Amino acid sequence: MEFKDYYKLLGVERDATQDDIKKAYRQLARKFHPDINKEPGAEAKFKEIGEAYEALGDPEKRAAYDQLGKDWKAGQEFRPPPNWDAGFEYSGKPGGTDFSDFFSSIFGSARAERAGRAGRAHTTFHMRGEDHHATIVIDLHDALNGATRTITLRMPELDDDGHVLVRDKNLTVQIPKGVTEGQSIRLKGQGSPGMGDAPAGDLYLEIRFKPDSLYRVEGKNLYLDLPVAPWEAALGASVKMPTPLGPIMLKVPAGSANGRELRVRGRGIPASPPGDLYAVLKIVWPPATDEKARKFYEEMAKELAFDPRAGLGV
Amino acid sequence: MTDETIGAIPAETIGTDPIYSLEELSTACGVQTAWVVELVEHGIIEPHGRSASEWRFSSLSVVRLAKAKRFDRDLGINPAGIALVLDLLGEIDRLRARLNVLKDPRVTSTDRPGEHGT
Repeated sequence: MEFKDYYKLLGVERDATQDDIKKAYRQLARKFHPDINKEPGAEAKFKEIGEAYEALGDPEKRAAYDQLGKDWKAGQEFRPPPNWDAGFEYSGKPGGTDFSDFFSSIFGSARAERAGRAGRAHTTFHMRGEDHHATIVIDLHDALNGATRTITLRMPELDDDGHVLVRDKNLTVQIPKGVTEGQSIRLKGQGSPGMGDAPAGDLYLEIRFKPDSLYRVEGKNLYLDLPVAPWEAALGASVKMPTPLGPIMLKVPAGSANGRELRVRGRGIPASPPGDLYAVLKIVWPPATDEKARKFYEEMAKELAFDPRAGLGV
Repeated sequence: MTDETIGAIPAETIGTDPIYSLEELSTACGVQTAWVVELVEHGIIEPHGRSASEWRFSSLSVVRLAKAKRFDRDLGINPAGIALVLDLLGEIDRLRARLNVLKDPRVTSTDRPGEHGT
């Protein structure tokens, strides 16, 4: 098991006051809270600082942690010395259920509190289980077509003796067609088990999309960059473009400017009602690398009375 | 730690259908009813029905309430602050999506128009 430097994780010195520690934790918690920070590593970081604060925020636990000595380095192989914590009494209740092995080896697990709660369940007490919430990252194509995906969730569970076990639970989920980013889907009965005869809670999954190589997403609308030649934009043309339902011919009106958005109704995410697909015109110029192309450009320069900087007043 | 695989479970998109009473919502989310009433007073979740005894909440409320609970538990934010944070996060999500749409993925930093020196 690896040693964890809780002071370093919170960015404070070993002689920091309890107020300094609280302040440092609060600042980091706001920054890395997974509901606020959408970066992939945020949730892991948030858990780490939560664990660090659980250890250092309580003066009794902090004293015990300090007792290990200051020569340990983060990541170093760690084995607690025998009877090292004799004389310390933790009055605070254990906080999280999925702290690291390192934390559990020093401060014990959340056993005692949970055992009490499980004990009550043996009476004729009926209560619906709690709902669980998690985030799931899917491909845009899963939302366009619907998909079956297997996800792994870390769930704290109680065994028969009331011990808390963190279990990796694999769930195969049918993702419905037409979900959008930020929307949640519900899996009935996949939350905590109910007490007594009461039903289990539900599992809610908030949808996030991986970036797509072709389409960009805004709500249920899709945007696609559509390259066109200057003469297609100037003269109008019918051009082939991909859509989630297969390629179509799109009519580009004559006199289209670069960046013009052309709407293809109903070809966005198939929600109800479905979103739209926008083709964003990107005018692409043929390179003047060969003699023939250069001749055309020279001719345009000579024949067209075109001043692109007419509006600049110079 | 054990592994467990279950057959494919159909997920349903959540909607605004009013299904939960105040007590059912509180139980589902593991919070006190008084706190739920406070969230309603701040417009964080919006029930159908006039009086608290008639209130019916949608599954969308479950998701908003769960988020509110995390802000309360993890960051110590009160209901007024939670309402503000949720509004601002919604605005950031909309702006991010718009920014993403406007971004041209094929333009790299070495090939940005207007940045060639003269």
